[in-house]
Amino acid sequence: MDPARARLTWLLIAIVGALTVCPVLMLVLGSFSEGLTAFGHFTTDKYVQAYTDPAFLEVIYNTAVFVLGTSLLSTLLALFLAYLNTRTDIPFKFLFKVISIIPMMIPHLLFAVSWALLLNPSNGLINLGLKEAFGLGNAPLNIYSLWGMILVEGLLELPIAYLIIAPAMASFDVALEESSRVCGAGTWRTLIRVTLPVLRPAILAAFTLGMVRSLASFAVPSMIGMPGRVNVLATYLYEMIATGFATDYGKAAAVGMSVLVASVTLIVIYRALTAESERFVTISSRGFRPSVIQLGKARMPLFGLVGLLSFTLIVLPVAVLLYTSLVPYSMVPSARAFAMMDLRHWIGVLGDPISLLALKNSLFLAVVGATLGVILSIFVAYVIVKVKTRAAGMLESLSYLSFSFPGIVIGIGFMWFFVQTPLYATIWALLLGYIATYLPYGIRPMSSAFIQIHSHLEESSLVCGASPLTTMRRIIVPLLIPGIVSGWILMASMFVRELTLSVVLSRPGTEVLAVQILRFAEDGLWGKLSALGIVMIAISTTLVVVATLVGNRFKVA
Amino acid sequence: MKKLLVALFVLCATIQVQAQDKVQLDRARAEGKASFYANITAVEPIMKAFAADTGVKGEYTRISTSKFVATAITEFEAGKLLADVVQAPLPVLELLKEKGVLAAYRSPAAAGYPDWSRKDDYIQLFGIEYVGLIYNKERVKPADVPKRYEDLTLPKWKDKIVMANPSNHATTISWLIGLKENVFKTDTEWRAFLQGLAANKPMFVASFGPTPAPVESGEKLIAISMPKYIVTKAPAPLDWARLSQPLMGTPRAIAVTSKAPHPAAARAFIDYWLSKKSMEILARDVGEYVLAPGIYPPIDGIAGAKVIAIRELSDDEIKKWGAEFKKIFEMN
Repeated sequence: MDPARARLTWLLIAIVGALTVCPVLMLVLGSFSEGLTAFGHFTTDKYVQAYTDPAFLEVIYNTAVFVLGTSLLSTLLALFLAYLNTRTDIPFKFLFKVISIIPMMIPHLLFAVSWALLLNPSNGLINLGLKEAFGLGNAPLNIYSLWGMILVEGLLELPIAYLIIAPAMASFDVALEESSRVCGAGTWRTLIRVTLPVLRPAILAAFTLGMVRSLASFAVPSMIGMPGRVNVLATYLYEMIATGFATDYGKAAAVGMSVLVASVTLIVIYRALTAESERFVTISSRGFRPSVIQLGKARMPLFGLVGLLSFTLIVLPVAVLLYTSLVPYSMVPSARAFAMMDLRHWIGVLGDPISLLALKNSLFLAVVGATLGVILSIFVAYVIVKVKTRAAGMLESLSYLSFSFPGIVIGIGFMWFFVQTPLYATIWALLLGYIATYLPYGIRPMSSAFIQIHSHLEESSLVCGASPLTTMRRIIVPLLIPGIVSGWILMASMFVRELTLSVVLSRPGTEVLAVQILRFAEDGLWGKLSALGIVMIAISTTLVVVATLVGNRFKVA
Repeated sequence: MKKLLVALFVLCATIQVQAQDKVQLDRARAEGKASFYANITAVEPIMKAFAADTGVKGEYTRISTSKFVATAITEFEAGKLLADVVQAPLPVLELLKEKGVLAAYRSPAAAGYPDWSRKDDYIQLFGIEYVGLIYNKERVKPADVPKRYEDLTLPKWKDKIVMANPSNHATTISWLIGLKENVFKTDTEWRAFLQGLAANKPMFVASFGPTPAPVESGEKLIAISMPKYIVTKAPAPLDWARLSQPLMGTPRAIAVTSKAPHPAAARAFIDYWLSKKSMEILARDVGEYVLAPGIYPPIDGIAGAKVIAIRELSDDEIKKWGAEFKKIFEMN
């Protein structure tokens, strides 16, 4: 292997390893230690207790259905939306793109609560409407169930899947599809036989990431699964942590290890399935142009369908948030509720100095953290895709380490780690923790984009005398712009609403938005929570729009 | 002459105490701030008043009960405990005391508190996280409001109740045990109550915080929750069921830490926290049930209610009963 590439690989392994291994190592220590911290006498009792619980089997079954269902739903929806957005002449594309990533900007807790308000069996708005419309005696839908969890979590994972699939779809070489049509295949057959197989790495990346995220997710299992008494791994862990006062995070970490093993296995399978990534290369030095498929008569009906889908799945929950932020307490919409609307929650939130400080800190963490995270991701993705060595494989697995751990536990791992350093209780601990945990959000879209770029381009540049850095700057990065924008958006939006690390690491002066929101949730102050949530969505939307505009400008240049 | 001597003695003692107070306050001001780790919520008005009245900044860090012990012990063992004062449910502070995290301090401000509120020289109790039945007063007719806990088992409440998950929420577990030990005469009666409650299929949420919202909106009609939400969630149509039996809750405790970075500020803070002024703020603004004599939250009828502190349950007991309740509630 080229020594420069080898040096880069090992340097990245050192950086990513330092960021992700330390907290996980602390959790491994904690899972084998007696007592409540990371350092104690060796014991395997925590593993024995955790894995011999008779309820564990049912939990595993529910978790498997939840995780597979969620990933399937989010990947299919993302494919559908990305295809229409990037490959067809469907109208209002920009708006469409923003709408398709809104769920990512909403704190998961709020999103779940919105859906409970819409679909709870007692007085959920959609259920009330259906009962009224069809004269039904009982509510036809119950959000507090496994399907309800899959629906809501699937929508939450949709933006991630979309931001991975869309750039790959945008870089697709039209010649492949044209060849298929010339050979007599119709649009549908071309899609199934050509388009989807070529997009396999991106689809698998989205599916894998969706599985890993839903394995670690807590908000939906807690807000929707718990009332419906559907226990998955996250709520099982919560039960373990929440029962009693002397919380044994070591035991929770012992359960978390199986999630970690499952995630690493998924990554290995994913690597094996996409090993021959040359097959998926579509941007080579032979010319490339994205194609737009004319929808013809199907244009408006399809737009109507997607518009309805977006409205029902995304706009409605956001509207519920806006409504909740304006009514004095939780009320079913009525003339009385509208008459009672005021701005008390907004005034309370915007006049609260801690909320304002949290806003400032979250914005700093989003912009600086996502920028640093994306820079690191570009190099890591490059090594993963272009330097196909064992060390590169190791780097990929390392990048997933903290991310794969259930969020409810990983924060404690970071606390156990940072408390040993001078960074403890500073904003820098949060920044490093965020980047370490959500690195795959930057790496995945970048990897999908790198896979699409043929090494001929790079080789031609090198042959012409350009240095590897110049090649990266002049050739690779401009072609990566869609991936960079996707990665930045994913990371920045995630950092704006990040909760699991923040709730453990945040201290006076380093408060962040999600922790403020959690405080409101714990106090049952849904009005304030919704108001702050909308502020959060506004910030994320601004970041998305700015990032997209900047990305477009560079693409044109 | 004797009276004069006594008066002189009292005067001297008062002057000495005041002088000591002033010295302590000057030290606290020099230290600049008191860091306060707590699980109690909405205490910002007290922090503000503390800073205004003493010139010492109060820095509040909210830590949930489930993370309290892990956070405090991790920081303590690493020599980085930032807290000067800690506040949490009594069992949490007992655990911290065992680990050497707490320091002995008897605040003169707690002189009027009941004797049982002084656990020892380390821990002072100042309130009860009281649990009651809150209901939607627009949707539940006065005649239907429960008069006894047993009324929750009536079929009319099927699918109408919301409560924190009894298999893991420590305060709810303690409350159910409190019913067994303080309300029901026999174990059989208590178990019949549990079975009846479970048969009514209450909706479970993670803690007390999310219990009022479904009642406000009418999704559910009644909650096993905290009457303080009548204050914090006003003007929501909430009221509490005035039962013939006592209300119960886990005691809220406070203590200074043994390696407090600001020891004088810590003592000044705890004195201020336990003062009449702070307890009035806590009762008035947050609806808390406090132990300072004569102070009650502004909730109609609460001053006349019998509120008792539940026996302190060990962690093993909570886990054992949590598992038992899980079986009972899942079977129904």
